[in-house]
Amino acid sequence: MAGDVHNKGVSWEVQQNGTLAPVDRLRNDRSESPTPGLVEGTEPGAGQESAMFVHAQSFEDLTADNEVPTETEPKGDSVLGESVEEEALCLAAEEKIQEDLHRSKEEDVCTEAWRSHRKHVFVLSEAGKPIYTRYGTEEALSSTMGVMMALVSVVEADKNIIRSIHADGYKVVFLRKTPLVLVGVSRTCQSDLELTRELQYIYYQIVSLLTLTQLNHIFQHKQNYDLRRLLAGSEHLTDNLLQMLDRDPGLLLSAVTCLPLASSTRDLVSSSLQAAKAKNLVFSILLAGDRLVTLVRKKDQYLHHMDLHLLFNLVGSSSSFREGEGWTPICLPKFNTAGFFHAHISYLEPASDLCLILVSTDREDFFNLSECKHRFLERLSRRSAYQALKEALKCPSYSVTQVGIPELRHFLYKSKSSGLYTSPELSLPYQSEEEQERLMGLYQYLHSRLHHPKRPLRSVYRCGETENLMAWVTSGFELYLCFSPLGTKALAVAAVNKLLRWIRKEEDRLFILSPLTY
Amino acid sequence: MLMISPRMASGMQEKLYNPSLLSFFVYNPSFGPREGEEEKKILFYHPSDVEKNEKIRNVGLCEAIVQFTRTFCPTKPAKSLHTQKNRQFFFEAEDSFWIVMVVRNPWVEKTNKDGKPPTIEYQEEEILDTVYGAVLRQCYSMYKLFNGTFVRAMETGGVELLMQKLEKFFYRYLQTLHLQSCDLLDVFGGIAFFPLDKMTYLKIQSFVNRVEESLSLIKYTTFLYNDQLIWSGLEQDDMRILYKYLTTSLFPRHSEPELAGRDSPLRPEVAGNLLHYGRFLTGPANIKDPEAKFRFPRIFVNTKDSYEELHLIVYKAMSAAVCFMISASMELTREFCEQLDSLVGPQLTLLASDICEQYNVNRRISGPEKEPQFKFIYFNHMNLAEKSTIHMRKTASVSLTSVHPDLMKILGDINCDFARVDEDEEIIVKAMTDYWVVGKKSDQRELYVILNQKNANLIEVNEEVKRLCATQFNNIFFLD
Repeated sequence: MAGDVHNKGVSWEVQQNGTLAPVDRLRNDRSESPTPGLVEGTEPGAGQESAMFVHAQSFEDLTADNEVPTETEPKGDSVLGESVEEEALCLAAEEKIQEDLHRSKEEDVCTEAWRSHRKHVFVLSEAGKPIYTRYGTEEALSSTMGVMMALVSVVEADKNIIRSIHADGYKVVFLRKTPLVLVGVSRTCQSDLELTRELQYIYYQIVSLLTLTQLNHIFQHKQNYDLRRLLAGSEHLTDNLLQMLDRDPGLLLSAVTCLPLASSTRDLVSSSLQAAKAKNLVFSILLAGDRLVTLVRKKDQYLHHMDLHLLFNLVGSSSSFREGEGWTPICLPKFNTAGFFHAHISYLEPASDLCLILVSTDREDFFNLSECKHRFLERLSRRSAYQALKEALKCPSYSVTQVGIPELRHFLYKSKSSGLYTSPELSLPYQSEEEQERLMGLYQYLHSRLHHPKRPLRSVYRCGETENLMAWVTSGFELYLCFSPLGTKALAVAAVNKLLRWIRKEEDRLFILSPLTY
Repeated sequence: MLMISPRMASGMQEKLYNPSLLSFFVYNPSFGPREGEEEKKILFYHPSDVEKNEKIRNVGLCEAIVQFTRTFCPTKPAKSLHTQKNRQFFFEAEDSFWIVMVVRNPWVEKTNKDGKPPTIEYQEEEILDTVYGAVLRQCYSMYKLFNGTFVRAMETGGVELLMQKLEKFFYRYLQTLHLQSCDLLDVFGGIAFFPLDKMTYLKIQSFVNRVEESLSLIKYTTFLYNDQLIWSGLEQDDMRILYKYLTTSLFPRHSEPELAGRDSPLRPEVAGNLLHYGRFLTGPANIKDPEAKFRFPRIFVNTKDSYEELHLIVYKAMSAAVCFMISASMELTREFCEQLDSLVGPQLTLLASDICEQYNVNRRISGPEKEPQFKFIYFNHMNLAEKSTIHMRKTASVSLTSVHPDLMKILGDINCDFARVDEDEEIIVKAMTDYWVVGKKSDQRELYVILNQKNANLIEVNEEVKRLCATQFNNIFFLD
């Protein structure tokens, strides 16, 4: 839709000479922005040539190819130059807005169906401009978002901060993260704190695409900037992240789960990865679907679980990495909100679930990392660990019946020191998406009670008509158990001990006990 | 064990402030729809000395919040707004008539050494929505008990009359709100029933029948002993708010003279009547006084259908109190009151001593009271029966609880969990202080138990609660 407009635009000095003269620092910041063009364009498939191309398809080149939107008056002094530059950047992204079309968002926001979604999420700028909505279109919601911003401002005028609005059956939670405002509307039983944490994830997802420095810069220069231009095409990342938040216990527990693997095999994989190092390589991560196989990091550098979840989300949301080697800038906001890392992302084999993420500090590192990957693969196959790994992939989870506790349907166990958790696959009756989310809702309830900011608890036991639940937190671990309604309290008490013994016995397989560094 | 909201937290330079009422207002958005007329929407505003524009702004925010939430659910708009500094509670008491209560979060003031102004930390997770939402609804119920509905006032005397009534009632009532000691019992708004054997219960019933027969003006009667209800002819919802008024306002005001010695000036004139201990708690203090005025408070009941306005006569002998309600259209005369006094006084005195005797016999049977290992709150939604061994006594000013406020809030949290799903549930939690808290909900009944057995495990706690149910609730279930 926007494309036509821009093709008719007048051309503009800055781009005629092929450079963007003013504000070099700004240019550098933005050039690395992984707008969808970059992420998708990284689409590998095509070896090194295309990777180069993707890299070349950064901000400067894109502006050179496009014409200027008519609403800007570029001919002018250097101050205007900055805004021009922004426009140009947006314009690059705007082409990608067409990708929006395959998002099934064309939902009428005045219908009961729209209202009754379990969880809405809205992102807006401080000028009240829509940036993201989970359901419906931003355009249709622009007045609603305007009201949201007005409410935020009115409360702030009183030197106060709006937190949430509560009504029967739903609540609205506000999170102010300058220069953005995030609003969640939820019909779940989650506490305000949990919902705020989810909004924080969404905020960091956006920061991971732009860096906070750039985000601030944009809005400092143009308060009513339409950030959608820059984020266009990345909505599926946010959509996917929201789905992960609804279903993946790892995000609730601030932990990651591992692919069950014989420790000998895992150690071989880890050491192969450790050996495939490069000067600027900071993290090497091997995933199997949404499970961690191993993670090797530079000494003294730690990856925050939130950053890791954002990487999981990036990989899980795009099929493009399956087609070859991907090269994308990414900001890991818990590590540093100001700068980009550069991630080399590729599957070990096109049809495999094994995905390798190599994170470097150097934007020119593509070939080095590609080389690392080859060295890793070579080493892996030589030591026959690859075959064992592929075998393990066939059963990426385990059944709760293996634990041998009657009436136990499911559990989550998190080791606090390692930040890893384990849980069996979902069995009946939790296999449908709806039931899966309901079970997650129960875990979220238990979690929010245990971790209440003012009144934390040691344990919770809850008998209901559909299941009996138990949660227990100690200094070393967190445990959540879900029993059938036939389970008794005596059984639950016995189950905890039995389960802890079983996990101890299996810990070699279920956890990464000896993480490596370069 | 006694904890009365400690004002000083640990450390010398920290001062804790309790939640307090910031403002309270009543508005109707349809009264000033045009710009520049916003002030007309406001029917009552406390504190009254707030500047006009600020009133308008605060009301405007409430309107905007309510309107905004209709985007997501047109039929169930906002009930509360949480901000860093305060909580606002919204209640549409009658069609388009909104009552809003703003409560300031508790806060800690920390003095800084180097002469900097003190830092203030708001404790945002302390106030329970369910508790203060209930307090707000109670404010309206109490208003309605003594004034009737907003709409009726509008019909009778227009917006001026309504504003007068609101001002007159809330000016005094708001001063009696003690927000720092509100808890789960406010959510229930229940009634404590006096446990009684069948014989004595029948005696009371026949007393009520006899009086109603002799004094046919009497429309409704309720009978209380020791601030606990035994018999009521009113509808449940009317009884619940009348009970609240009697036990937290009227009775405590009159208990002091009774406790005072015989020669104390506080003691009311016994008027040479030594045959009985009966006296009026409402109306004339001494009916023998030739100057006495026979005016009684008016109350409004059944406001949804028959809308009755009644005289409220409260008559007490020793620990027994009876309310007689008579249609407001009747004029109450000296003769009537004398008749009532001479009929009811002696009988009620006798009955009160009977009940007292019976009560003491029962107490002896159940053995000497020793401090039990548990404390509990029970509530039955069907008959509003409530029993608490956590609250030591309720007075107009404070309700004293015998457990730490955080434990009381955990009870409130469990109550919220129960309210979410309409099914039978049991929740057992262990607090960081190692107290166990058990909540049970079954068939409209809720029971909350706090156990001080720090080394017990889940199974032992369960056994303990089973024992408690078996021993404690025979009497209460008898009254169901």
